[in-house]
Amino acid sequence: MIEVLRGIDFELHAGESVSVRGQSGSGKTTLLNVLAGLDRPDSGELWWNNEPAHLLSLGDLTARRGRFLGLVFQAYYLIPEIDALANVLMGARVVGPVGPTERERAASLLQRVGLAERASHLPAHLSGGERQRVALARALMNRPRVILADEPTGNLDEHTADDVIELLLQVCAEKGAALVLVTHNPAYAGRTGRQLVLHEGILA
Amino acid sequence: MSWPIYLALKQLFPSGRRLPFFTIISVVGVGLGVALMLVATSVMGGFGHQIRQMIIDTQGEVQVRARDSIRDLAGVEKALAGVPAVAAYAPYAQGVVMLDHDRRPGFPVIQGYDLARIGKVIPLERYLLCGSLDDLDDDAVILSSLLAQALGVGVGGKVSVYSPLMLERLKQNEVLLPRDVRVAGIFQIGHQQLDSSTVVCSLRLMQDLYGLGNTVHGYNVRIQPGANEDVVVAQLNAALPPDVRAQTWFESNADFQAVLSFERNMIFFLLTFIIVVAAFSITSSLLMSVVRKTREIGLLGALGGSTRQVAVCFCVQGLILGCAGTAAGLAFGFALLRYRDALVHLIASQTMGQEVFVKFYQFARLPAYTAPRDVVLIVVFSIIASTLAGLIPAWRAARLKPVEALRSE
Repeated sequence: MIEVLRGIDFELHAGESVSVRGQSGSGKTTLLNVLAGLDRPDSGELWWNNEPAHLLSLGDLTARRGRFLGLVFQAYYLIPEIDALANVLMGARVVGPVGPTERERAASLLQRVGLAERASHLPAHLSGGERQRVALARALMNRPRVILADEPTGNLDEHTADDVIELLLQVCAEKGAALVLVTHNPAYAGRTGRQLVLHEGILA
Repeated sequence: MSWPIYLALKQLFPSGRRLPFFTIISVVGVGLGVALMLVATSVMGGFGHQIRQMIIDTQGEVQVRARDSIRDLAGVEKALAGVPAVAAYAPYAQGVVMLDHDRRPGFPVIQGYDLARIGKVIPLERYLLCGSLDDLDDDAVILSSLLAQALGVGVGGKVSVYSPLMLERLKQNEVLLPRDVRVAGIFQIGHQQLDSSTVVCSLRLMQDLYGLGNTVHGYNVRIQPGANEDVVVAQLNAALPPDVRAQTWFESNADFQAVLSFERNMIFFLLTFIIVVAAFSITSSLLMSVVRKTREIGLLGALGGSTRQVAVCFCVQGLILGCAGTAAGLAFGFALLRYRDALVHLIASQTMGQEVFVKFYQFARLPAYTAPRDVVLIVVFSIIASTLAGLIPAWRAARLKPVEALRSE
């Protein structure tokens, strides 16, 4: 058995932005998965909004995650069969029924990320940067308290990556969501409120 | 609409894109199975229905018979008249004879009817191709079409009738000459076997040919529309003399009906495997879909979707494919049934030829009768099989852990 994370003591405050850097294989994604409740640590506790998430059943944990957290991945993970607006709405569909309010919010989020004109486009017809912006809008759909972004610029060119990071920081600040940004790029890390480095499973 | 159903629909019928190949293949597979089952059961049902109608048209719904022959005609007729559901009845006698015309022999079954009463029981005139029933008397017969053709005789021609009674008398050194009768008409029922070996004559002539005297072999009975055959038979058997029994048309032809029913059920059973194969193809395609969409499945879990909802999404895809395939199959099946004669004639003309088809299959037209019960059975079976086909992929999808699914390459 490989010990990936050791002695992690991490606290995130409302509205705070934190970056996590580290070499490949240092455990950045594992840390994010543990924070998201996707991976259960062998020992230790996970608290979400003063609630012991580590004690929740898998079903409850999954349901809470949908409302408490927004996830942004390097590979976007958009559903190819539905258009950009429907992908954003998917975030809301998974946690409950959608009505006109949710549709309006999805449209306004798409507008906020600069894709109002591309709402009816399928993911295959969007560029990498546009797909990541759709994924960001989806992550924000349920008014999450925390956004966990796992190398969101990993598949993007430098210029597009700059735009996406700018948008990510702006939108999180506007919506009052805390941000944990996993990145290799020191410049992007430097734009967050707190910078952490993960080295051989130890967070510093 | 809950997201598993929404996503299932979108994955099968994506907006703004061409229909996925997987959807088309799955729907076509189920559809072909349903269409084949519908056509096969309808045609088998059609044969059964046509044979039933033919039997009723030539025998009535109920037949009254004795072990040998009925002597107490008055007693039997009193019992028949006493049952209100009996609409009409007429005595008959039947046997095998040899016909001869210009040295061309035939060995048909001859049916002797009481000409004054038979019209109310058996609609002979409906099947008459030429000639007239009015010309049928004790010195005339009506021939079935293929028999007349084989003998080379037409209306107005003469045929000689040889009966078994002639052999009986010969044993007593008495020679009976064949009876020369004229052909008063030609009929065609539409069944090759009946049309090639049936002769109709008067009851008097038949009694003479067989030496029956005033006895008959039985009665053909027509019952009131809507009356239950089994109930009528039970009432008749309670009133008839002990040596005379009434039977429904079904009982009279029980062996034949059993064979027909067995064939129909076997065809239905065998054709269900087409749908089972189609269901396996759905399973295979959905399993591929689960593998292809592993990371999407992981995403749905990460977004807050439960394992049960993920499973429902794939199960619903099986259900939708089943419903769509069944609907397509019913439409295609009914279209095939609608144009079945044109199709059969086309196939027959390209292969064996129309005459050979009639000879072997005994019907000039392909009959079809679709029982609502069969349609319900096909629809239910097809949809259940397709839904079950989605279970294994659904189980596989539900077992995927989001974190592992998201990590997959």
